[in-house]
Amino acid sequence: MMMDQMMSSLSPSFAPVWSLALSGGGGGGGEGGSALGVLASLKEVPLSAMVWLIPGLPLLGALLAGLCAVLKVRSKLPAWLMVLCLAGSFAVTFWMYQQVAATGGSTFAVVHLFDWINFNWAPGKAFVANFSLYVDPLTCLWMLFVTGLAACIALYASEYMSHDVGPGYCRFFFAFGLFVFSMACLVMGDNLLLLYLGWEGVGLCSYLLIGYFYQKPSAVAAAKKAFILNRIGDLGLALAIMLIFVKFGTIEYAKLWPMLTQYLQMAAAGQFDQIPTSVQLIAVLLTLAAFGKSAQLPLYVWLPDAMEGPTPVSALIHAATMVTAGVYLIARTLPLFQISVAPLAGLEGTWFGFVSQISALEIVAYGGGLTALLAATIGMAQFDIKRIMAYSTVSQLGFMFAGLGVLASYGAAFHVFTHAFFKATLFLACGAVMHGFAGQLDLRKLSGVMWMKGWLIVGLAMLVGCLNLAGVPFTAGYFSKDVILAEAFSVGHFRPLAWILLFTALLTAYYTFRVFFRVFVGPKHYEPGDELHAHDDHGHDHGHGDKHDHGHDAKGHDAKAHFHPHPPGWAINTVLALLAIASIAAAFAYPTYFVKGLVDTSTAQVAAGAAGHTHVGGATIFGYDPHKAMYYISGIVGAVGIITAFFLHYLGRRTAATSAADNLNLGALQRAAQNKWYVDEFYNFTIRLPLKVLSHIFHMLDKLVVDGLVNLAGLLPRAGGAGLRPSQSGVLHGYAVAMAAGIGVLGLVALLALR
Amino acid sequence: MLLLLILLPLAAAILVPFLGKRQVWGVALLGTLLPLIAGMVIWLSLGIDWRSSNGDISSLNQTIPWMPDLGVTIRLGLDSVSGLLVLLTLILGPIMVLCSKTAITERVRTYYGWILVLQAAMTGVFCARDLIFFYICFEFTLIPMFVLISLYGSTNRKAAAIKFFLYTFTGSIIALAGLVYIAWFHASKTGTWSFDLDVMKTAARSMPASTQWWLFLALMLGFAVKVPLFPLHTWLPLAHTEAPTAGSVVLAGVLLKLGTYAIYALAIPMLPAGAILFTPLLAVLAIIGFVAIGLVCWVQTDVKKLVAYSSVAHLGVCMLGMFALNPTGLQGSILYMINHGLSTGALFLLIGMMYERHHTRSMLEIGGLAKRMPIWATFMVFFAMASVGLPGLNGFVSEFMCLFGAWQASDTWLGSHFVAGTPGYLGPWYAVIAGVGMVVGAMYTLLMVGKVVWGPLKLPHDDHGHGHGDSHGGHDAAHAGSLPADLTGREIITLLPLAGLCLFLGLYPKPVLQAIDQSTQSTHKLILDARQTVRALEGGPIIPPMPASNNAAPADGAEMENAR
Repeated sequence: MMMDQMMSSLSPSFAPVWSLALSGGGGGGGEGGSALGVLASLKEVPLSAMVWLIPGLPLLGALLAGLCAVLKVRSKLPAWLMVLCLAGSFAVTFWMYQQVAATGGSTFAVVHLFDWINFNWAPGKAFVANFSLYVDPLTCLWMLFVTGLAACIALYASEYMSHDVGPGYCRFFFAFGLFVFSMACLVMGDNLLLLYLGWEGVGLCSYLLIGYFYQKPSAVAAAKKAFILNRIGDLGLALAIMLIFVKFGTIEYAKLWPMLTQYLQMAAAGQFDQIPTSVQLIAVLLTLAAFGKSAQLPLYVWLPDAMEGPTPVSALIHAATMVTAGVYLIARTLPLFQISVAPLAGLEGTWFGFVSQISALEIVAYGGGLTALLAATIGMAQFDIKRIMAYSTVSQLGFMFAGLGVLASYGAAFHVFTHAFFKATLFLACGAVMHGFAGQLDLRKLSGVMWMKGWLIVGLAMLVGCLNLAGVPFTAGYFSKDVILAEAFSVGHFRPLAWILLFTALLTAYYTFRVFFRVFVGPKHYEPGDELHAHDDHGHDHGHGDKHDHGHDAKGHDAKAHFHPHPPGWAINTVLALLAIASIAAAFAYPTYFVKGLVDTSTAQVAAGAAGHTHVGGATIFGYDPHKAMYYISGIVGAVGIITAFFLHYLGRRTAATSAADNLNLGALQRAAQNKWYVDEFYNFTIRLPLKVLSHIFHMLDKLVVDGLVNLAGLLPRAGGAGLRPSQSGVLHGYAVAMAAGIGVLGLVALLALR
Repeated sequence: MLLLLILLPLAAAILVPFLGKRQVWGVALLGTLLPLIAGMVIWLSLGIDWRSSNGDISSLNQTIPWMPDLGVTIRLGLDSVSGLLVLLTLILGPIMVLCSKTAITERVRTYYGWILVLQAAMTGVFCARDLIFFYICFEFTLIPMFVLISLYGSTNRKAAAIKFFLYTFTGSIIALAGLVYIAWFHASKTGTWSFDLDVMKTAARSMPASTQWWLFLALMLGFAVKVPLFPLHTWLPLAHTEAPTAGSVVLAGVLLKLGTYAIYALAIPMLPAGAILFTPLLAVLAIIGFVAIGLVCWVQTDVKKLVAYSSVAHLGVCMLGMFALNPTGLQGSILYMINHGLSTGALFLLIGMMYERHHTRSMLEIGGLAKRMPIWATFMVFFAMASVGLPGLNGFVSEFMCLFGAWQASDTWLGSHFVAGTPGYLGPWYAVIAGVGMVVGAMYTLLMVGKVVWGPLKLPHDDHGHGHGDSHGGHDAAHAGSLPADLTGREIITLLPLAGLCLFLGLYPKPVLQAIDQSTQSTHKLILDARQTVRALEGGPIIPPMPASNNAAPADGAEMENAR
C-alpha cells in the first residue's frame, strides 16, 4: 500500500504527455474502441525523412571501418568513427522520439526510402516490400536503447579490442556497425520483409562476431550453431510472412492493422471459431521465429555458446538488443496474437489435430516460463561468470516471453528496456574482469576484485547490475519483473506459470549474488587466465602489427609468474559508470509511465477486454490484489535469494575456490545442471547424428542407385557388344542406353503419378 | 545488332589460332569485352521499352533466310527474359577469360578459341527465335565444354567429359524429336514447314492435352538433364569437379540456365496443358533436389563438389518456382537463374583461386585460410551469404519468390480462401517442405565456410615450407612466383563486378522484376487458358492432378480472373 501511494504520488510530476494520451485514449473509446484499443484511433502523421539517418549512420560507420581495413589503418580510428556515427544515430533517434511524443500518442509515420521487392503477383496486384521506415512509439522505445547502448558499447570496445588494432579491429567495427544498421531495419521496417532483412542481418553480424576469434575452433562452431539454429526460427518467420500475405494481401503494418479490426472484434466477443484457422496459425509461426532469435526452448542452446565472441558483442548483441528482437516481433505483431488466443478449434478432426490444443499465446507464455526456469537452474551450477550471465539472459528473456504470453506487453517491453541496461552493465563489468585478468572467467579463481586498486567502478557497476537482476526493491529490474509476475497471477489460467516465474526469481537472486559475493568481494585472490596476450600488449605499444596466437604456452608460463591484473582504462570505466547510472535511472520509467506510455499508445497495446486477457474477477494472491501484493512478495523472494547466497558464498567462504555451497552434496542433480542438463548431447544424438547418417545414406543412394543405374546400363552394351565389335566405343552406346533406361523409368514414374 | 553479339566472339575465335601465345589472352578478353559493351549499348538504347515489352522487342528482330524449303531461318530476337540472360552471359564472358590467365598455361589457343565459340553459342541460344537455329546453338555448347573438360580438367576429366556429353546429348535428342513432331504437326495441318518459334507456339497449343502430355515429357527430358532436375543430375557433380575453373563458372552460370530458359521459353508456352499435367510431379522432384541433395552437400569433403551439388539444390528451388506457374514463382525463377549464375559462379571462381595456390580442394587438407588470404576470405564469406539467401543480397529475393510462388499456387488452404492466392497445383505444404532446404542450405554453406575460411590455418603438406603468413613469400612450384598468397588485382577485378551485382540485385531488384513482369503475366495467362483444355480431358485417359479442394472451390482460373 505504501509503495503504491508513493508510486501514484510520483506519477503526476514525472508523467508528461503520455499520461494525458493514456487517459484520453482509454476513456474516449466506445464499444469498438475498447476491443480495438489503439488500432481504433491510429492515425498517420508526417515525419521528416531525416530518420533515415538512424540506420544510415551506423551503415556509414561500417563502411568507413571497411575502408579503414582496405587502407590498412593501424590505429583506433575505426572505433572513433563508429562511436561518432552511433552517437549521431542516437541523437537522431532522440529527436524522432520527441517528434513522436509531441503528437501525443496513437500515431505512426511511414517514411519511404526506396522500393525494394515490388512485383505483381497477378495483373495489377502488387506485392510490396519497400525500404520504408515505420515510426511509432514502440519503434522509438526500441531504437532509443539500441542506439544509446550501441554508442556506449562501441566506446567500451574501443579500449577492449585495442589488443587487436589493425585488420581485426576494422573487421570488428565493420560487423558492429552493420549490426546496428540491421537492428534498425528490423525495428524500423514498415513491413515484415524488411524486418526479415534486419532479422537475418543481425544473425549474420552475430555469426561474424561470435566467430571473431576465428582461429579458435570452438568460436567457429559456436558461430555456425547460432546461425543455423536461428535459421530454423527464420524459416518460421518466412512462412509467417507468406501466410500473412496470402491471407491479407499485404505485409505492410500500416495496411495490415486495419484488416485485423474485424477479427479483433470477433476475438473480443470470444468468437474464435469464426476466425479462420489459417489466420490463427500465423501467430504460431511467428512464435517459432521469436523463439529462435531470442533463444527460447527448444532453440536456446546457441546463446550460451555465443559467449565465444568478444564481450562487448555479448553485451550488445547477445544480451541487450538482438536477442530481444523476438520480443519485439511479438510485441509488434501483437494484434495477430490477440486473435489467436483460443485453441485452434478449426483444426480438430483434420490430420493435424495435434495442433488443435495449442494456442499461440500459451506456447509463448509456457515456452518463456519453462525456459526461464531451466536456464536459471543451469546458471546456478556454472562456474564461468560470462556463461552464468548468458544463462541469466536466456532466463530473463523467458520472463519477457511469459509476459507477452499473459498479454502483459507493457511488462515485457519494460523488462526488455530495463534488462538492456542492467544486463549490458553486468556483461561489461564481467568483460572488464576478463580483460584485466587475462581472460579469467572462473569464479573459483577470482575473489575480492572490487577491493583491488582501480577496480572500484567495475565492482560498483557490477553491484548495480546484480541488484537489478536480483530484483531488489526499487531497482528497475524489480519494477519490470513485478509487472510481469503480477499480470501472470492476475490471469486465471496462468497461475502455474506465475509460480514458476516466482520460483525462478528466487533462483535468479541467488545465482546473481553467487557471482557477486565470490568474485567481487571476499579475500583478494586471482589467477590469470590463459589469454596473456592482453597483458603483454598493454605492456608494449598498442599498434602491435601481427594478430595474436591464442595460448602460446612458452611465453604464457613465464608471464604467469609476473602477472598483475591491469585495471580498466578511462573508456571502460566511463561506460560502466554511465550504464550503471542508466540502470538505476531506468527505474524512473516506472512511476513516470515512460515505457507504459510508449507501449500503450502503439499497436503493442493490449486492448481493454481483449480476449484471453480474462482477469479472473478479483483474482487474489494471499487475499490481496496481485499487483499490490507482488511488490512485497517479489521483494521478499529477492531478499531470500540474496541472503542464501550471502551465507553460502560470502560468510561460508574462506578461500576463492571453495564455498559452503560445495558442502551441499546434491550429487547427480548438480552434475546434470553443470552439464546443462545434457541438452546439447540430446540434440546431438537425436537430431544431428541421425541427420548426418541420413545425409550419408542420400549420398550413397545418389552415387550407387541414381548414378549407379546410369553407369550399370552403360556397361551392359559394352559387355554385349565387346565380342562383336570390339573397336566400337561401347561407352558411348552405354550412356545412350542408360539414358534411355533412365528416361523410361522417369516416364513410368510419371505415368504412375498421374494416373 | 544481335548478330553482332554472336559474330564478335566467333570472329575472335577465328583469329585466335593465328596469334602468338602472348596475344591470345588479350584478344580473347577483347572478344568477350566487345560483345559486353555492345550488349550494354543495346540495353541502354532501348531504355524503358526493354522493361515494359511483352514478347520480343521489335527493333531487334532480325531474320536471315537459311533453308527456305523447310522453313528454317536464322531469326534472332530478344525479349526481356532472354535479354537478361544474354546480359548474364556477356558479363560472365570476360570473367571466364580473366580467371584463366594464370591457370591455363598450355594449349592456350585451343582453350581461348573454344571459350569464344562457347560464348557465341550461348548467346545464340538466348537470341534464337527459330527452333532449328536454337537447337544447333543449344547442342553446340556441348562441344566447347567437352573440350574444356577433357583437355583442361583435373584427374578424372576424360570420364567426366564423356559422361557430360552423352548424358546431355541423349536428352536433347529426345527434345529435338519432340520439337520436330510439333513442326510436323504444324506442316500436316497447314502444308508448310516452319520452325519459327511463334508459329510453333501457336501450333503446339492447339494440340489436345494428351498429346501435349507426351510432348512435354519429351521436351522436359532434354531440358531437365541440362537443368539438372533431381534424378537426372548425376553428370553435374562430376563435370563441375573435373572442369577447369572457367568451365565450372560458365557451366553453373550459363549452361544450366539453358535448360531452365528452354523450359520457360519453349516447353511451357508451347505446351501449357502439358506443363499443368506434370506440375506436382516436377515440383516434388525439385523439392527432393533442394532438400535431399542439400543434405548430400553437407557430407561432402571436396569443396568444389559441395558447390557443384549445391547447384543441383539451388536449381531445385528455381524449378519449384517455375512450376508454381504463377507470376510470383516465374519471376522468382527467372531471377534465380541470374542470381545463381552470379553467386555460384563466383564461388567457383574463388575455389579456383584457392586451388591454383594450394592444389587441393579437400576440406580435410586445407582450412583457416582467412589468416593467409584475408581478401579471398572476405569474398568467400560474401558470396557464401549470397548463396545462402541472406536478405539484402541477391539470392534471397529469388528464393523467397520461388517459395512464395509455390505457396500461392493454390487458392484454398484449410478450407479458407487466400486473398492473394493464384489458381495452381501446389500450395503451402510445398513451400513449407522446401523451406527446410533453406536451413539445410545454411548448414552446408556454413560448414564449407567454417572449414575453409575459419579455424586454425591448415595447408597441404607440400605447401608448408613456403613463407607462411607473410604476404609475398607464398609461391608454389608449378607457377614459380606467379601468385602471391592473397588475391592479385586481376583476381579482385574478376570478382568485384559479381559482388556489385549481387548487392545491387539484392537491394534493388525492381528493374529486373519490372522487366520480366509482362512476360510472366502472359505465361500465367496461357496456363489459365490451358486449364480449360486440361479440364476437357476429364474422362479421358489422364485425370488432371488437381487438389480436391480446388475442384470444390468456386474460384477456378477463369472465374477468378473475371472476379478481379
